[in-house]
Amino acid sequence: MAAWLTPWALLAVPCAGALISAPAWAKLRALRTGLLLSTMAALLTALAAALVLDTLPSGLPFLCLLPLVAFASLLAQPLHRDNRGSWVLTVILLGVGQAAVTAPPPAQSFLVGLLFILILGALFRLRHPAAPVRWSLATFAFAVAAEAGAVLAPAPLDAVAGLAVCLVLVPLFPLHAAYVAALSRLPGSLPAFLIVALPAVGFSRLLTVLPALPDLAREALVWLALAGMVYGTMLALAQPRPLPLLAHAALALCSMFWWSVGITGTLASESAVFLAAVGLSLSGLYLGWYAVRARFGDLDLRALGGLVQPMPRFAMLFSLLALAALGFPPFGVFSGFMGMVLVPTSPLPVSFAVVAFAWLAVSWYVLELKRRLLFGRPRPDLRYEDLRDGELAAMTIVLVVVTALGIMPSRWFDAGAASAPSRASVETSAWNR
Amino acid sequence: MALADGGTGLAMTWLILVPLLPLLTALLIAVSDRAQLEQHVKLGAVPIVTAFLGSAATLALVTAHGPITVRLYDPAPLAGFALPLGFCIDRLSGVMMTLITLVGTVIYLYSRGYMYQDRHYRRYMGLIALTTFVLLCMVSSANLLMLFVFWQILSWLLFLLAHNHAHPATLNGACTTFSLLRLGDVAFLAGIVLAYSLYGTIEFEDLFARAASTPGSLRLWEGLEIEGPTAVTLLIFVGAMSKSAQFPLHIWLPRSLYAPTPVHALLHAGIINAGGFLMNRLAPLFGLSSTTLHVAFVVGSLTAILGATMMLTQNDIKKTLGFSTIGQMGYMIMECGLGAFSLAVFHLIAHGLFKATVFLNCGNVIHKARQEPAFPPLAREAEEREFSTLTWSTGFFTTLIVPLAILLGTHGILRIPLLDSQGTVIFLFFIWITSSQAILSLTRIREVASWKVSLAMLTTLVFVIFTYLFAAETFTHFLYPDPSEVAGYFKAAALPGRLFDLVVAGMTLLTILGWVYLYARAHGRTVRMPLWVEGLMARLYVVFMNRLYVDAVHARVGRGLAQAAARVERFAAGWRM
Repeated sequence: MAAWLTPWALLAVPCAGALISAPAWAKLRALRTGLLLSTMAALLTALAAALVLDTLPSGLPFLCLLPLVAFASLLAQPLHRDNRGSWVLTVILLGVGQAAVTAPPPAQSFLVGLLFILILGALFRLRHPAAPVRWSLATFAFAVAAEAGAVLAPAPLDAVAGLAVCLVLVPLFPLHAAYVAALSRLPGSLPAFLIVALPAVGFSRLLTVLPALPDLAREALVWLALAGMVYGTMLALAQPRPLPLLAHAALALCSMFWWSVGITGTLASESAVFLAAVGLSLSGLYLGWYAVRARFGDLDLRALGGLVQPMPRFAMLFSLLALAALGFPPFGVFSGFMGMVLVPTSPLPVSFAVVAFAWLAVSWYVLELKRRLLFGRPRPDLRYEDLRDGELAAMTIVLVVVTALGIMPSRWFDAGAASAPSRASVETSAWNR
Repeated sequence: MALADGGTGLAMTWLILVPLLPLLTALLIAVSDRAQLEQHVKLGAVPIVTAFLGSAATLALVTAHGPITVRLYDPAPLAGFALPLGFCIDRLSGVMMTLITLVGTVIYLYSRGYMYQDRHYRRYMGLIALTTFVLLCMVSSANLLMLFVFWQILSWLLFLLAHNHAHPATLNGACTTFSLLRLGDVAFLAGIVLAYSLYGTIEFEDLFARAASTPGSLRLWEGLEIEGPTAVTLLIFVGAMSKSAQFPLHIWLPRSLYAPTPVHALLHAGIINAGGFLMNRLAPLFGLSSTTLHVAFVVGSLTAILGATMMLTQNDIKKTLGFSTIGQMGYMIMECGLGAFSLAVFHLIAHGLFKATVFLNCGNVIHKARQEPAFPPLAREAEEREFSTLTWSTGFFTTLIVPLAILLGTHGILRIPLLDSQGTVIFLFFIWITSSQAILSLTRIREVASWKVSLAMLTTLVFVIFTYLFAAETFTHFLYPDPSEVAGYFKAAALPGRLFDLVVAGMTLLTILGWVYLYARAHGRTVRMPLWVEGLMARLYVVFMNRLYVDAVHARVGRGLAQAAARVERFAAGWRM
């Protein structure tokens, strides 16, 4: 398989799977099975590309993570006809995402733009007067324009435009609205998938943007990251509902990634581990919330509680995923974060105090989420039912992967060849594809 | 895997597996079903007891052959690490492992009966074994990061041990516990990150060497710099403060008192000592910063005084014991702040064994009090009226005259320049304070002949002097064989001469006043005090009974943060419209 063909094969396989499954639109179980098989075919394609090609496709772990997350987010969904659209779109976005991770510029720009347009379309179609998404739609439109600018504009404007695209994909204040809206407004399996997919695409896009980035932009990144951490933390603390809470938690945590990028000017493999683990652990919590929502509806957290006793399997998995999200060892968020902040060469900036605050605050609101859901007295008027096999398998897959991320050597996340250094400076050719 | 210079063969390598034995117990309990549970719990005692025997053997081996180090990672390139797991067992680790497994064994065996038929029997037994495992791994960590990993896991286990999800008060207490411990964890994390950015290593020996040779500094802002070792140790000290319940991060301890009694025995005898252990493990680093040691002294002293005072105003046996522990932890940290690191370990061992015994017995006392209306006795007025001149005189003599004679003898006959050696004065001072405390307590015994009490006072004094001058000195030499190292810590911790004299004089005055007050009360004389002092005392009593309102301040800070978050949310929502 020629290297240039890889992204298109990765795009074609899930899309073909979605097309083949489409005739089973009326048969929910058959449709979902077809789409699940498509995600597995996408995983096999990524692995086959790794085996066949002389050099590994860039971001191979991300390539494998995306189908796994898509598989888990589809598997956790209840069989309901309202979810069909989100299932098909998840698989299409999987193809686009995988292709965007591996494609060289300018094809990558085209694929990222396509990704934005698909999400924009979904958000526009599902907008609700009670939950305005104008700002989010505008941000997505801006991202599409920025991507076009990144292709057409001269240097160094193209790098700045590319950076703006990355700030939408890996959310950073003030361009986070699109990401937050996608995670809290889109239906079905989409948020649990996009919470991993968007940062994965953003990370691979950043690999091409970062080397050309002016110092001023890096300094601005640090300030924006600090603002994003505080803003994300405060909003996560104020949320009574899990979806926006988790979306803002993702903003606060992704801001830590940006802080590291701004301070060091590098994209270390540990930061890739961190991004992937943050996405995965929060995705696992999304899956947990889907299970609750499928039983009791989209209730306020204050109206629920006491699930630990009637739903022990759910409680165990949700607790472990919460533990992973709040940065406990041996899960990937902790390993990635430690690898990201343990930098021997530069003196520790005072701004680390803000990072420490945001890191501490994650414990508060994630623990509060867990406490509200699991503890207290069960309500006598609710009929409780523990996780079904599909839900259990989906949450377990995510938990296993996030644990593996914490234990495995982070050099596996090195872009390009396996021999690439684990912490490369922006000038190093390994990052300049 | 690398065996360090102290490694002498396969037997020593096998002893590295000792920390893993309690994990086996936890797994045994975890995989058991309801029918097998009791059998598995019984079987689980074998690895725990074996861990104790193995710890004792490890202690003997490291004493004879030096430290054992096993690293399951390459320490040279840290980048790309997953979790740098390894074990480094020296004398300090050996002592701590023996203490932890001894207390763990006793508590495990006790809990089998005490917790039997409890709804959460399996969970508690499993968690006790798991906590023992985590504590063992923590004290035998090969590097700072591994220590931190287990330090954090310990915070989570404390949350699990302290909470009962069906009981709101317990749950609130457990959440407070976790919040405050997490605060300490994050400060510790910041300390590690700063240490790594300054010295480029997380290996203990390399870290100490580099910090001593090139201390570096941290620039907070233009014109304000703080020395590297001071910044690192101050941050790590906050971690130690939270785990060892130092003021004002102590409030988690009384709030976790709803947990079952055996959990408290383990908490007060093992987990809470983590702060003292951490300071000892990093003693060479702390020894580089006089500022941090002075801060530790102030925080420890404050905690000791406030903890003991709050203890006096509590009316609940478990809370009384809880505040007693806070006071004792204050002493422990104060000792570290004075540079007497080994004394802190000595203290934590003695306190751990004592407090575990008391906690394991307090359930019986509560049970007895529920069954016998006359227990505990409500009034002691009849006893208070009796006064034995012999008891009082012996107490006064042994507390004030004998120590003075010893002090002058040390100074004159042994020609130890006390005025120049704060370390020696500290040791002598602790002898005096400890014996005074014991002897003052003995004066309250009225049910036996006064000559027996007097004899007990003299024996106590001899015992305390022997313990400190012989046992504590020997222990210091055992933990820190190089006398110049110990002298270096005392020198680093030395307080300004006048302040030190003031502290000693103040404490001396307080002890003498205690005897005068005791004498006056025993003779039916009222100690006249100005009205404002009496009013102040009444008010202070209420303040201390309400635990200085630190809980309320903590709650208010939480509410303030929540309100600020809500304001930001409203502002953001308006902006998005």
